[in-house]
Amino acid sequence: MNVQKPNGFEPEITAFYCIYCGYMAADTAGALSIQYPANVKFVRLPCTGKTDARYLLEAFEQGADGVYLVACPIGNCHHARGNERGLARVEHTKAILDEIGLGGERLGMYFMSGSQGQAFAMAAQEMTERIRALGPNPLKNEGGRIEDEGRRMKDEIEEDGFRGRR
Amino acid sequence: MASPPVDFIQPKPAAVMVVGGGIGGMRSALDLADSGLKVYLIEQTPCLGGRVAQLGYMFPQHDCVLCRGTPDHGYGCTRPSISPAYIQNNQHPNIEVLTSTSVLDIEGQAGDFTISLRGEPRYVDMNRCINCGYCAEVCPVELPDSYQQGMTMHKAAYKVAARAIPDAYVIERGPYCEDCGKCVEICPTGAIDLNEKPRLHSIEVGAIILALGFQAYDPTEMEELGYRRYPNVLHAMDYERLASRSGPTEGIILRPSDQRKPNSIAWLQCIGSRDRRNTYCSSICCMYTTKEAILAKQRLGKEVDCTVFIMDERTFNKEYNAYFEKAQEQHHIQYIRCRVSQIREDPQSSNLILHYAHPDGYQQEQTFEMVVLATGLQPPQSAHHFTQLLDLELNRYGFCQTDKFTPLHTSHSGVFVCGAFSSPKEIVETIIDASGAAGEVMRLLNDRLNTFIYSREWPFLSMDGLPPERDVSLEAPRVGVFTCNCGGSLSRFIDINNLMEQASRWPAVVAVEQMDYACFPEGLTRLRNQIEEQGLNRVVIVGCSNRTHDSLFQRSIRQAGLNPYLMELVNLREQCTRVHVWQEAQANRKALELTRIAVGRSAKSQAVHKKKYICQPRALIVGGGLSGMTAALAIADSGYEVHIVERSHQLGGNLQDMYYVAEGYNPRRLGRDLINRVRAHQNITALTHTEVVGHQGHVGFYQTEVETRRPGSEAQRFSIEHGVTIIATGGREAQDHPWLGLTQVITQRDLEAMVIHNPEKIAALEDVVMIQCVRPYGAPDYCSRVCCTNTIKNAIRLKLFNPNCRVSVLYKNIITYGFREEYYTKARELGVVFIRYTDEELPKIETSGGRVTVMVRDQALNRQLALPADVVPLSMSILPAEGIGELAEIFNVPLSSEGFFKEAQIKLRPMDFMRDGFFLAGMAHYPKFIEESISHALAAAGRALTILSQRDSLFLGGVVAVVDPEKCVGCLTCTRTCPFSIPQVIQLEGRSGVGNLGGAAYIDEALCQGCGTCTGECPANAIQLVNYTDEQIMLREIGGLGAWLPWDSERLSVVGSQ
Repeated sequence: MNVQKPNGFEPEITAFYCIYCGYMAADTAGALSIQYPANVKFVRLPCTGKTDARYLLEAFEQGADGVYLVACPIGNCHHARGNERGLARVEHTKAILDEIGLGGERLGMYFMSGSQGQAFAMAAQEMTERIRALGPNPLKNEGGRIEDEGRRMKDEIEEDGFRGRR
Repeated sequence: MASPPVDFIQPKPAAVMVVGGGIGGMRSALDLADSGLKVYLIEQTPCLGGRVAQLGYMFPQHDCVLCRGTPDHGYGCTRPSISPAYIQNNQHPNIEVLTSTSVLDIEGQAGDFTISLRGEPRYVDMNRCINCGYCAEVCPVELPDSYQQGMTMHKAAYKVAARAIPDAYVIERGPYCEDCGKCVEICPTGAIDLNEKPRLHSIEVGAIILALGFQAYDPTEMEELGYRRYPNVLHAMDYERLASRSGPTEGIILRPSDQRKPNSIAWLQCIGSRDRRNTYCSSICCMYTTKEAILAKQRLGKEVDCTVFIMDERTFNKEYNAYFEKAQEQHHIQYIRCRVSQIREDPQSSNLILHYAHPDGYQQEQTFEMVVLATGLQPPQSAHHFTQLLDLELNRYGFCQTDKFTPLHTSHSGVFVCGAFSSPKEIVETIIDASGAAGEVMRLLNDRLNTFIYSREWPFLSMDGLPPERDVSLEAPRVGVFTCNCGGSLSRFIDINNLMEQASRWPAVVAVEQMDYACFPEGLTRLRNQIEEQGLNRVVIVGCSNRTHDSLFQRSIRQAGLNPYLMELVNLREQCTRVHVWQEAQANRKALELTRIAVGRSAKSQAVHKKKYICQPRALIVGGGLSGMTAALAIADSGYEVHIVERSHQLGGNLQDMYYVAEGYNPRRLGRDLINRVRAHQNITALTHTEVVGHQGHVGFYQTEVETRRPGSEAQRFSIEHGVTIIATGGREAQDHPWLGLTQVITQRDLEAMVIHNPEKIAALEDVVMIQCVRPYGAPDYCSRVCCTNTIKNAIRLKLFNPNCRVSVLYKNIITYGFREEYYTKARELGVVFIRYTDEELPKIETSGGRVTVMVRDQALNRQLALPADVVPLSMSILPAEGIGELAEIFNVPLSSEGFFKEAQIKLRPMDFMRDGFFLAGMAHYPKFIEESISHALAAAGRALTILSQRDSLFLGGVVAVVDPEKCVGCLTCTRTCPFSIPQVIQLEGRSGVGNLGGAAYIDEALCQGCGTCTGECPANAIQLVNYTDEQIMLREIGGLGAWLPWDSERLSVVGSQ
């Protein structure tokens, strides 16, 4: 493999997009060949209303240096106001990240219409730069994998059924 | 054995031609295709979309949401079409899109037309074009881009827009093209053939819909405005492109002269409307200007000065009034009531100096940095061509002539019209017309409905003929990973060999293979063979866009016996190779990562099935007025049963009290005719004295309880089972105002009755003062739309009875949109005096000695006037029918802020409710003219027929939220979170919630829209969204959500094979 680890820190970011405007914006960026950093991997959701605070936290726990969401513009959601719900959960999760010391600024949310390829590229650019400045996710250890200890504890809690997180 | 009788009768074509691929044509075609008719959608240009494709935003919500044009979900953005059924690989099997095609000749008659078509060569084979864009890169010819209004250039080999439909390039050949052949050489798939010849062919259809659209007015002939002479004077369409996110500046509004943000913009209304040349009103400009001005404020900042020079504020539809008020109060957009007489340019700054007569009476000069001309609508260019072909009648403005009571019929039988070709109109009205015209065609071709049966069982549209599905739920995942090299564009710098090598070592992966073009027939065959040979039960394809290719591969693997949800498509082309050209190393890593999570997700995927329902072949219509009866007849004529439930003692609704209309027709005759037909129709049961009292069920199977209370007999209750519901409860004139206590003060409806029953009284009147926009105390402020025309109609009558009668009309805005402007003009010619008042100074009525005087401040003269009056007719608000709130509750459908029923989507689904199977017709939606109610009723009927005609193949559910009742604590969070109010907490057999609470959340799969909003909020984690389960998203075993593979390949393989 001709892949060499670059010198210094390369952010590893997870982006969630909805399959409406969010996905479309990525497609438009592709159709117009608008360049943006390759430090982002994508996870699709049917709507950003599907965003669960657990998904965001899980991404950080698995080692993501940054996480962001790409949604339809407010008022323009295919599901009427799913994106507003998504935003509320992002805000909520930011508060948790601040509280646990990871920092809410590692989490972002962008709203754009499907034809905004440039905006999609800008979001990736902005997040990559922001995370580059913040440095790696402190939860991430050397091998890029997480201790199993914490995981086991979390599983046990979840098996009780009720998480009581809000 | 006797031989079968020889059939001398030619089979009648179960097909329709729709001319015009704009939003109206697309809507008609879709409804017709859904009802089982074959549709030829003819479009002159190389792609669908029409005008709407050029608009970034729609008023009044500034949204695009074309994806909400139909109830389909899960395909993503559909722009510029209104439905995923137009995406090439998922195209509705009943629709044949013929672009670059014109109609040469039409022969035959209603039910049986033969049409000759000419298809211009595209020079690019749409099935082989992979949108790589190489042809455009090498093409040496540059042409102005008409999609961007000539503000940018495109090559002669080009794609009209990034998301054009059909999704392929086109070569525009003309004298400028030197046939250099570079495009042919470079095309990796050999899709380009410069020797392609025009295609002449003929089709046979039973009916024709003309959705020709409009032509935007060219203001060059108004020399005083300086359009095309001064660069900063823009056409409204130019501005739309500038403000659009897909425009040349991605929505940043810049002056053409110096590419600078303007600090002040002026809009000039009624350019090419309401003047000597074009006497009609173009209906849409007031609203689109308001939208454009708000966009300017939003994009350029609050400090930008936005001024609109306007004549009347014609904001006559749902929510428009509130929108207009918001523009003034929240965005501080200034409206000045006058016409600008001249524009000059300051040659130094390229600023524009406007001259106008200020409404306060003095001459004014004002400088703006940019001017937008709110141009009107003109008849489409192709109108004359079709006039000649079909011997169509046009009206005196050059639009299609239609009759008030048959608003969608042209003068040629079997030929229908929709959209702006019949009169200037906006998207909502066009959509209503389009579905209505489709409804008319279904009625005409009722013996041929359902000839072409298709299915929505899968996420792609299909005809029959799929092999039985293999049940893989008990098998361990066997994933096959296929890459599509897309003619080498994927492997340009992605190391595909390494990717495959890595993938082959991941758990569950049993086969990897590289293909050149997976989407070509050879590739698809190979894919299917591999599934069978290798015994694969999951497939991951590494290739291009999910939006365009998901359905293709889903269909393919379904043909190989696998459930379509067992396929994952990784979009490396749009999401990696094209956008990371300068980051080879990181791009390779990302490609690996995207593939890895797709494989991980795929291993967790399970088959998803929709549930099959049988549709009751019966419609319930609530309301027996004009709309209810019109819809009932359209459905009944197509062979389905209809129950009309009418609360009052008779059918007919408002038609009973209307005596004449501005156009001169007799509405009572229409009413009589409709009642006779409804009463005589064998498929219609009309129940008067009957109300709805209970309701349950879902689309295809509703049970509605009704109660009949005939005077003098006992109330009877019974239940109706039906597949669809149309709500047509109508509206009524308000009767409640303190002024109405005076004997001289009456409503316009009373005046109309007086004209008919007491003409001698009318002839004796000397002073009449009519007051517009009177609403009862507490009623919301909205435009009732029909009153201005109604008032003018009555004013003209009074003048005809007694030319010396002094008739004054006190108004806020005269709303005579479209061709109704001519009555306004006529009234003024006859001497009717129009006096404008404002909300700040409302007219007052004073009485002394039995005489009535109306006091009003004249805005033009700025003087208080005292107008004596023999009679004062009021234009009262039109309110929704009484009891609409209770009905909304019974049916669980929402009401709008004005108190009328709320449709699924204000622009694109004005005749649908969000609840599938519920439709809306007539004044229950908003006040409407007779012709508009008829169109709306036909639209609702047409939409209802698309469901009724699916009979036993109604597929619902699929990707929906599923509640685990064992975990539900009944906290009601989901019921509050759901954007569509679908979850309910109820007790059902075996669903009692945690610790036998006595109830658990229930989400009806036939109603769920699949957004997953409830799943993200459920505190007990009791809800999962099918195909988006926590397991599939979190991918904990492989760290798919957050972890990346380490850089060095050795570790990478270790991690991968764990």
